[in-house]
Amino acid sequence: MSSTADDLIRLAHVGMHPDRLRGLVTKAGPPGRVLRQIERGYLKLPDEARQAARVPAGERRESLRRAGIEFLLRSDQGFPERLRNLPDSPLFLFQRGPDFTGTAVAIVGTRTCTTYGRRLAERYGAAISNAGWSVVSGLAKGIDGAAHQGSLRGPAPGIAVLGSGVDVWYPRQHCKLGESLLEAGGTVWSEAPPGARPLGWRFPPRNRIISGIAHAVIVVEAGVKGGALVTARIALEQGRDIFATPGDVGRYSSLGCNLLIRDGAFPVLDADDLLECLQLVIGTPPASSVEKSTPEPAPDTGVPVDRFLAKLDDDPVVGIAELGRLVALGEVKIDADGLVVAG
Amino acid sequence: MFASTNSVALVGVEARAVSVEVHVGGGEKGRLNVVGLPDTAVREAKDRVMAAMAVSGYRFPARSVTVNLAPADLPKSGSAYDLPIALALLAAAGEIPIGACNVVALGELALDGSLRSARGGLGAAIVAAEMGVPCLLPAEAAAEASIVTSADVQMVGSLPAAISAALGESVFPGPAPPGYRPPDPHDLAEVRGQPLAKRALEVAAAGGHHMLLSGPPGSGKTMLARCLPGVLPDLDYETALEVAQVWSSAGKARSCLTVPPMRSPHHTATTAAVIGGGSGVPVPGEISMAHRGVLFLDELGEFRPQLLDALRQPLEEGEVTIARKGVTVTFPAAIQLVAATNPCPCGFHGHFRKGCECSERMIQRYRRRLSGPLMDRFDIRIRVERVDPDALIGPPGEPSREVASRVAGAWEVQRSRGRRNRDLGRSELDEVEFTSGAQRMIEGALRHGSMTGRGFDRVRRLARTVADLAGAEVVQESHVSQALVLRGHHEQYRG
Repeated sequence: MSSTADDLIRLAHVGMHPDRLRGLVTKAGPPGRVLRQIERGYLKLPDEARQAARVPAGERRESLRRAGIEFLLRSDQGFPERLRNLPDSPLFLFQRGPDFTGTAVAIVGTRTCTTYGRRLAERYGAAISNAGWSVVSGLAKGIDGAAHQGSLRGPAPGIAVLGSGVDVWYPRQHCKLGESLLEAGGTVWSEAPPGARPLGWRFPPRNRIISGIAHAVIVVEAGVKGGALVTARIALEQGRDIFATPGDVGRYSSLGCNLLIRDGAFPVLDADDLLECLQLVIGTPPASSVEKSTPEPAPDTGVPVDRFLAKLDDDPVVGIAELGRLVALGEVKIDADGLVVAG
Repeated sequence: MFASTNSVALVGVEARAVSVEVHVGGGEKGRLNVVGLPDTAVREAKDRVMAAMAVSGYRFPARSVTVNLAPADLPKSGSAYDLPIALALLAAAGEIPIGACNVVALGELALDGSLRSARGGLGAAIVAAEMGVPCLLPAEAAAEASIVTSADVQMVGSLPAAISAALGESVFPGPAPPGYRPPDPHDLAEVRGQPLAKRALEVAAAGGHHMLLSGPPGSGKTMLARCLPGVLPDLDYETALEVAQVWSSAGKARSCLTVPPMRSPHHTATTAAVIGGGSGVPVPGEISMAHRGVLFLDELGEFRPQLLDALRQPLEEGEVTIARKGVTVTFPAAIQLVAATNPCPCGFHGHFRKGCECSERMIQRYRRRLSGPLMDRFDIRIRVERVDPDALIGPPGEPSREVASRVAGAWEVQRSRGRRNRDLGRSELDEVEFTSGAQRMIEGALRHGSMTGRGFDRVRRLARTVADLAGAEVVQESHVSQALVLRGHHEQYRG
């Protein structure tokens, strides 16, 4: 007779959707029973998943140990308290890096962000980390990656919650970012077994962990479609405070955030403002002295060159020369979309 | 029983004199043999010639006839040798005086003795002018030949007309040379707003710089590109002749000789259609048709990648060499390349009001198709935005004519220097004089990382052109700073 822990580690490697697994465990009873159902073929599962369920727990533990991956059960001491208390709490987590004990703030947003959004996310990430709070995000492209990048500038270790296995960096360009997050003492979590590919359906459940662990969720840029708004909705259900960065009315990349603000999210202006608001919600940050964020020129939203010229001079030739002077000084630059942004 | 007359064969765009020799020999009845690397169309000349002669009232000699097209090692193709063969044959048979053969002739004979047009009229006129003999051409060929003012071009419509023209019995004057520049349907005055794009167009025209326009659909990229020929100076006689020769070898006539040509092949065009080639004797492609003018590639990212790769060598060398079994020809291809592209597959990336629906991956894949060595050829890269409605109802801009006069001034400066700014290499750029302020600005941009080594040359080239437009000998700060803007987002765009 195997222990529940053994059954769970075997079940975890099947890689089922968390909701389905939770449903099965609630209905069918102990994990051992679910495993037997799988073995007998009662459950519709791909062949590889069925194979995966057969591998003995000992073997699984051994290979996890060799890969430096921890397997946390809900009952384990290292399992974060805030996640344990969620109504749809994960049954287990795969973890790389040390157990997380601090206070976390989530930064989420669109993957197809503007240069402006990327800068904001980076700046917020740095400010939060400097205050001693951990930044939690999904290591995705766009806002997520920028937030992690920014958090590396501060002392607090970050958390990345992945939709793939903890040993699979997705997108691949973020391989370096993920490794440096681990090096800086950060933690990487996933419900998917090691080696699991980043399939689309794994991402919505991962979002509940991001908002679940966080004390507050900051949405930097979000269109009306997309995962960032879903995360915000889940965060509301979990009772987390939502912050959103206002943007131009009518600008596509700001529609989601503006909607959130209309529905009651806190508008965030700059990094200092954000820290003050967060203090009201979370309490005094652990870092003894909250460093003022380094003064930077205001990030400008990308402006079409022609619009920028109109501000400079009536004569376009003089305007172009003046814009070029600013480019040479590094005060502005022309980004990959051909728009003028702060340098 | 021998006579010879002259015609031409095209090797690439170059016309070579071909001597058409006819010998009328003994005995056998009505045999005609063509030698000297004729293709099928040439060989079939005998049937057309026989019929045309009969209809025109001449008797085909009841003897064995040999036609030689010399030099014998040069491949001849097409139906253009009908007329010279007929002339030489009639002279050799004693039907007409030998003197009628002292011409350069070209044309396909119809069975009723009338003349149809043939490729190479311009080349025939050039050869005729060199030989100092009259040039007999059918109507369309005569039209393209009319540019060669030193040639005595006779526009003949039939075999009898050709004979009487050759004998000097009657004169069929060729058409007047095509007129000078007609009003351009694309004038810069029509382009509202777009200050950056207009400036870029002027600088591109002045220095011959290749230009890439990116921007959402409907932002006027195509319209801007079409305005470019209108701000380029007229072609001078030699250049116009050069261009006309290329067009002639492609079987096309130019409607106006002095306007720099503009070609805009569709993105589904094959590599052979754009670069040149084809089966048998290679014909020039779009890139050669645009010689001394503008090649406009709309939707650059949609062109097949091999084609974009194949553009690099002609862009570098100003000519394109096509090797086929037996013939290697070189077509001129000194072009100014203007390309337009969307910033992403849906076109709205970075757009203020509309969201982009492309995934990051699609955008990257789209841009990667454009990256690489071809991108390095574009000195000017700018983004074009949709114009504000306010600007649309504003006053018209500066007309192309005024811009063109400034551009012509810059060309003059470059001509005296001996080289187009587009072609300035690193060592030549090192010799360009900058004021100390301009020098500092370039160094500053390098230090800030807003410019890489690759961008360094590009900025100096563009700055040189901006200074030429301003009539400045030494490049000043404001010239460098304009170059920094026009160069656009080069480095970030790669990969």
